[in-house]
Amino acid sequence: MAYLTQPDYIKYVCSCGQLKPITNLYFCRHCLKIRCGFCICHEVDSHYCANCLENMPSSEARLKKNRCSSCFDCPSCFHTLSTRATIAQPRQDPAAGDAKIENKQPKKMYYLSCFNCRWTSRDVGIPDQPVASGGWPERTNPFAARVNQLLDYYKAIAQQEKQEKLDRERKKFAIRGKYMNLTDKTGLTGAMARNIAGLASSESSSSAIANFVPSQASEEVEELPEDYHTQEVNLKQITSMRQRLRAAEWQPRSAARLQPAARALSVKRSQRCRACDHNLTKPEYNPGSVKFKIELLAYYHVPEVKIISYETVKPGETTALLLKLTNPTAHEMQVRLLQPQDVPEVEEREEPKSIEKSLEKSLNLEKDSSWSKVLQRRAALPTACAVRAPDAALTLAQRDDAAEYDDDPQHDTSDIIMWRKSNKLALRLQVATAAGAAPGGPARAALALQYSYRNTVPPAAAAPAPRDHTLYTTLVIHLGTVAE
Amino acid sequence: MELQDTYYNKSEYVETASGNKVSRQTVLCGSQNIVLHGKVIVQSDAIIRGDLANVKTGRFCIISKGSVIRPPFKKFSKGVAFFPLQMGDHVFVGENTVVNAAVVGSYVYIGKNVVIGRRCVLKDCCMIEDNSVLPAETVVPSFARYSGNPARLITTLPEAMPDLMTEFTKSYYQHFLPTTVN
Amino acid sequence: MSQNIKILPGATVCEDCTLEGDITIGGGTVIHPRVTIIADGGPIIIAEYCIIEEYSTIIHKKSDKQENPPKPLFIGAHNVFEVGCRLESSFGHIGESNVFECRSFVGVNVKIGSGCVIGAACNLTVTQTLADNTVIWGSEHHNREALEKQPSQLLQLDFLSKVMPNYHRLRKPNVHKRLPSRQSQEISK
Repeated sequence: MAYLTQPDYIKYVCSCGQLKPITNLYFCRHCLKIRCGFCICHEVDSHYCANCLENMPSSEARLKKNRCSSCFDCPSCFHTLSTRATIAQPRQDPAAGDAKIENKQPKKMYYLSCFNCRWTSRDVGIPDQPVASGGWPERTNPFAARVNQLLDYYKAIAQQEKQEKLDRERKKFAIRGKYMNLTDKTGLTGAMARNIAGLASSESSSSAIANFVPSQASEEVEELPEDYHTQEVNLKQITSMRQRLRAAEWQPRSAARLQPAARALSVKRSQRCRACDHNLTKPEYNPGSVKFKIELLAYYHVPEVKIISYETVKPGETTALLLKLTNPTAHEMQVRLLQPQDVPEVEEREEPKSIEKSLEKSLNLEKDSSWSKVLQRRAALPTACAVRAPDAALTLAQRDDAAEYDDDPQHDTSDIIMWRKSNKLALRLQVATAAGAAPGGPARAALALQYSYRNTVPPAAAAPAPRDHTLYTTLVIHLGTVAE
Repeated sequence: MELQDTYYNKSEYVETASGNKVSRQTVLCGSQNIVLHGKVIVQSDAIIRGDLANVKTGRFCIISKGSVIRPPFKKFSKGVAFFPLQMGDHVFVGENTVVNAAVVGSYVYIGKNVVIGRRCVLKDCCMIEDNSVLPAETVVPSFARYSGNPARLITTLPEAMPDLMTEFTKSYYQHFLPTTVN
Repeated sequence: MSQNIKILPGATVCEDCTLEGDITIGGGTVIHPRVTIIADGGPIIIAEYCIIEEYSTIIHKKSDKQENPPKPLFIGAHNVFEVGCRLESSFGHIGESNVFECRSFVGVNVKIGSGCVIGAACNLTVTQTLADNTVIWGSEHHNREALEKQPSQLLQLDFLSKVMPNYHRLRKPNVHKRLPSRQSQEISK
């Protein structure tokens, strides 16, 4: 929790070279590496409305332009609108001849109202509705036809280009044969299927390109009205820039033309390791649930380091630093503190290309592999301060939920260990600061951890992988500023 | 950083059998309608309006100084009803905060000087930053971090939020100690 | 300072609040616990059917250019002061059916009409006059004009005046109906 309200005193080095607090990191159990939001794949699991917490299938969400069908945002302040009910006496409209109908029953009518800025749908003259949800008048985009035309055009171009690319690829490699392969079965593109069947590319796409008329810049622009500069401005009646851009299709200029906007949907997302394609997080489907089906967080797998307290860092001196180590796993852990330069280089083994792999490749024809180059960066570690690491292996007991009822912490006789308490360990360390450290600058020290990790993934039947691993992680500790 | 110890005057607080620590300087109106589910800390000058409707909190809630927990009302065609206010486990309410919500889920962090409008629903695992104002009837979804006046979603929270809040409220409770000096 | 607190019949005033100076509380008004009303620079008159919630503060501040006898601060009917709001306005008159939302602040030089909403945590400090039905909201103090006045809280007042006596020690009304009405009292002073 301290992670949410305090600055990030301790940052871990992700395998992509980013520095992040442990709460923002993931741990891939299959690669045994730390991953962060920057170097993993984010996928949309499901769409839901954050206001009514209603799930929406992705096809429907696309159709509704990713907006909820029952919730609206205030066009004035963008807060969610609430539905209010009023009792309306049925109006007697003599002109329509309704007066004859004896319908004196008071009727419930609904209107939309904003509790933040007190905007109501009555302000702009939207009639009250007889049903609580839905039925609000929908406005069509005045340029809908043109937008659709553009969409068709670009879709056609995209398809054409894809087709050309496929043709090139096919020329390069020998024809695979007439058998159905996986790509056909999954129906990657309709164009591919047509290709194999020897059909010409679809007619519709070419016609969309042929019939397209590019827009023309007009020479003449309408003059501003005479009184444009002299008319007095009433700021309460014109809309702000934000209000206009919020309704991009209409961009109302007068506050009287604001319309409730359907609320944008939120998504639940799952995250996937890019190296091994295993899921790192996968939330439960229900939008109200906070549970996860898969939750491989660094917070649950990597020993957590917290600062208990520290002395102000001074150039050329050694100062004390108290750290707390926590073992979040259900297995005993051996931890050894190291200098970051002592961490052995992990050689990247080229994965043997198995059949499954190549199949996967063929499925992800367009998968961009340039990311791996970007991700092989190394973090710049501070060198001005160094934590004097004791050359001893520390044993951290496994996590025990019953331990909170335990007695007082055990005090150790050792120099460096202050106390132990179930899976926690407090260390007394020394920080040596270089004499040349600039006073007033940030005092940061790097530290590496070597820890034993037991992998609980059931090993594949064919190749039983070793269960116990020795892993390394590097972290940067922020110790305020260097004193004079 | 680890939480520092917070000390309180032993004579000022009442500790119940279930571990609730309630300051004597609070206003608990209609205390028969207030249920604190154990290990809850209610600090001085907090007001809990149990007279308007039932107020229930879960375990390990922290209600800081000067905050007001007030069941919300709703108008109906035939009068006004105050709704019971439910709070989950491991909820932190900061100093001088006004909570008019209908439901506050579990693992929720509400900063200081915050106004939670009437009938808001705060789902599990969300955070309202200091000095924010949540207008009435807002629904704050899980793993959302809201800030500002009016409060808007600014970012998401880490997936480990339940564990972080559990650790925070538990260690807050453990570090909330009576002064030994009389 | 003279303590002269007049509570008209039908008002619900909790004992656990600070009332100082010359204060008149109209019938049907509900004052929740921990409210501070200080009539330092002149009398404060609160009309009927107001709601004043916890930790709100209404101060009639002493000023240098004060008239003698001091002008009263008159707060119109149906005003709602939500939790933790603070009103220091020394203009003699606050209109009716205003809503001062939670933790809002209205400074000395602000004149308020009727049907206004001062949004939660809004600070009004600059000299200004709020026209009727003005709504102020957000940290940037946006304002707009509402179509109609804020709905009255009569139903809530009904509920509160029924429920609150069961749970709170109340201050007893000390002015009886038979006595002259508020306006004639003012004249008699």
